[in-house]
Amino acid sequence: MGAAAVMAAALAFSAQAQDAARGAALAEARNCAQCHGPRGVSDTPIIPSLAGQQAEFTTLQLILFREGIRRVPAMVEPMRGMSDQQIEDLAAWFASLPSERRADRGPANPALMARGAEISAGRNCNACHLPTYAGRANIPRINHQREDFLEHTLAEYRDGARVGTDTNMNGLMNGLTDGDIRALAHFLAHQE
Amino acid sequence: MKQHIRSLLAAGIMLSPALAFAQAPAAPPAWQQGRPAEMSGSTLAPHAPRLTVTAPDAIPVAALRVPEGFRVELWASGMPGIRAMALGPNGTVFGGTRVIGRVYAIRDVNGQRQTSTFMSGLEQPSGLAVRDGALYIAAMHRVLRVDNVEANLTNPQPVDLTAAFGQATEAHHGWKHIAFGPDGRLYIPRGVPCNICDTDGDRFALIESWLPNGTDRRIEARGVRNSVGFDFHPRTGQLWFSNHARDWAGNDNPSDTLHVAARRGEHHGYPWCAGGFQDPAVNGRLCAEFPPPALILGPHVAPVGTHFYTGTAFPERYRGAMFIPLAGSWNRERLSGFEVITVREGEGGRLIREPFLTGFRDEANNRFIGRPSGALTMPDGSLLISDQQNGAIYRISYGR
Ligand code: HEC
Ligand code: HEC
Repeated sequence: MGAAAVMAAALAFSAQAQDAARGAALAEARNCAQCHGPRGVSDTPIIPSLAGQQAEFTTLQLILFREGIRRVPAMVEPMRGMSDQQIEDLAAWFASLPSERRADRGPANPALMARGAEISAGRNCNACHLPTYAGRANIPRINHQREDFLEHTLAEYRDGARVGTDTNMNGLMNGLTDGDIRALAHFLAHQE
Repeated sequence: MKQHIRSLLAAGIMLSPALAFAQAPAAPPAWQQGRPAEMSGSTLAPHAPRLTVTAPDAIPVAALRVPEGFRVELWASGMPGIRAMALGPNGTVFGGTRVIGRVYAIRDVNGQRQTSTFMSGLEQPSGLAVRDGALYIAAMHRVLRVDNVEANLTNPQPVDLTAAFGQATEAHHGWKHIAFGPDGRLYIPRGVPCNICDTDGDRFALIESWLPNGTDRRIEARGVRNSVGFDFHPRTGQLWFSNHARDWAGNDNPSDTLHVAARRGEHHGYPWCAGGFQDPAVNGRLCAEFPPPALILGPHVAPVGTHFYTGTAFPERYRGAMFIPLAGSWNRERLSGFEVITVREGEGGRLIREPFLTGFRDEANNRFIGRPSGALTMPDGSLLISDQQNGAIYRISYGR
């Protein structure tokens, strides 16, 4: 059976109605842009962009923040009292914003690109995140992201400091050096 | 064991997370460990949980099927991730979860269910058991006890028994199902910290029992890869447990199994043998050396919350029968499981297996619309089944 059928299985039952317009109003009221940038493109070091992110991934992460499972102090206040419906609306809003390659990204360093490509191929990053690294469903988009955030968060997975919906990413980072992670982040940030 | 370790290495299989660290860059995540090279392009991966509330009208109760004469209805909803259930002496149903970290409390007030999040922010509190009015919660290696629990539903102050029980802290297969036996002891399983690996057989691949205060540890069963469902036979008191077999050995091998712990401390086969499947990746001992399982449940079906029905409202043939929710496969191209089966004793003790609650699996599209993950007999003789994917509990009753 092909990959499409497997993905269909993973999608399971569709989520209930989400409303991007309600999400936009809520993002405005809670000032998500203060940290995550206008229209979901972050200008702040180590804070991720949210534009064009997979809605299911964003939903799951916001629940993990609200429940105190993924522990990020800066996200405690924004999530306070947030209902599931509001979270799904926010996720729909950020998913609807265009994702583009960053205007401020520097030139690609050939040595880092080669090392990053090698690790990504060896650990099948694209089997889950797709060959474009745009992600699917609960698996996030990791192209167009801030390079410093990618480096920071991959190191957190490796060091057991980031808790996700499962331990996939923690296991995948086993044994990588800081240099390897820098190369991976550089490689991902330079995907189209 | 030396010999065995060498044979594992020869098969190219990681032994333990610690060894895997030393051997970068080949370290796979635990669920992917043991996957042969020819499957490395596989897109199979564990299913994502749903952590948001599913509205009652989106819960697929109308698609569910039960045998003639039974009725299935939605009993409670709005509890993302609910799995194991335990009943308090005054009728409160407690529900455990994994990723979302919550324990729920559900009360029936004048025929309406009132649900609340009883505790939150725990790490995978999937194990629940009630004794002498206290709720015991197993959250990975932590063990908590809430005394006089139904009088403390709003502000529980748990007693932390973690140190006394001294459970291994390795995360993989560290989530637990727990239950009190007829002997008054607390039964706690400890799965293996990998897919297929060599482990310390006194710390992993076990079902243990303890006095409720965390003393007098006893090993009840060995060689059990990962059991997240067991119960005690209503007549014999024997421990019956289900077991999850390894992944990445093919679509149809090995099968998950149901076992009886006939002799205390007996070895049930891991890592060499799973339900008659002699693992080609592991040399050493033969299937013939271990007691055969009571029943082969099927490849990758994922039994969660094995339960003996103790009511009398169901017809004769179901009294004392076992109900096994099969939460369903991920490591298989065609989905398997996603149903509740019954297992009962026929003539001469022969076990008869039948489907009981079906409709969670959409065969035509190879997708699922729910994952049954817990079973509980209620005082009125009805049976509750939890569905972790829809955050719901169904009630199954007979007649009328
Ligand atoms: C005070 C700054 C701040 C505010 C305001 C804020 N965030 Fe965050 N957000 C963060 C930080 C810091 C992180 C995590 C970085 C990390 O993991 O180290 C984060 C992470 C996230 C993530 C995870 C993204 C990923 O790719 O992992 C999401 C989703 C998110 N925030 C959504 C929101 C939403 C929606 C709002 C508004 C309701 C919001 N944030 C408001 C600082 C903020
Ligand atoms: C088995 C599927 C799988 C594979 C293979 C995989 N990922 Fe992931 N990845 C995920 C999932 C699922 C998440 C979200 C997990 C969570 O809840 O934290 C994730 C999250 C991430 C994130 C966090 C992004 C964000 O915005 O927070 C990064 C970065 C990432 N992966 C990079 C990689 C890299 C690099 C590789 C290869 C070394 C890789 N992934 C391989 C499934 C996978």
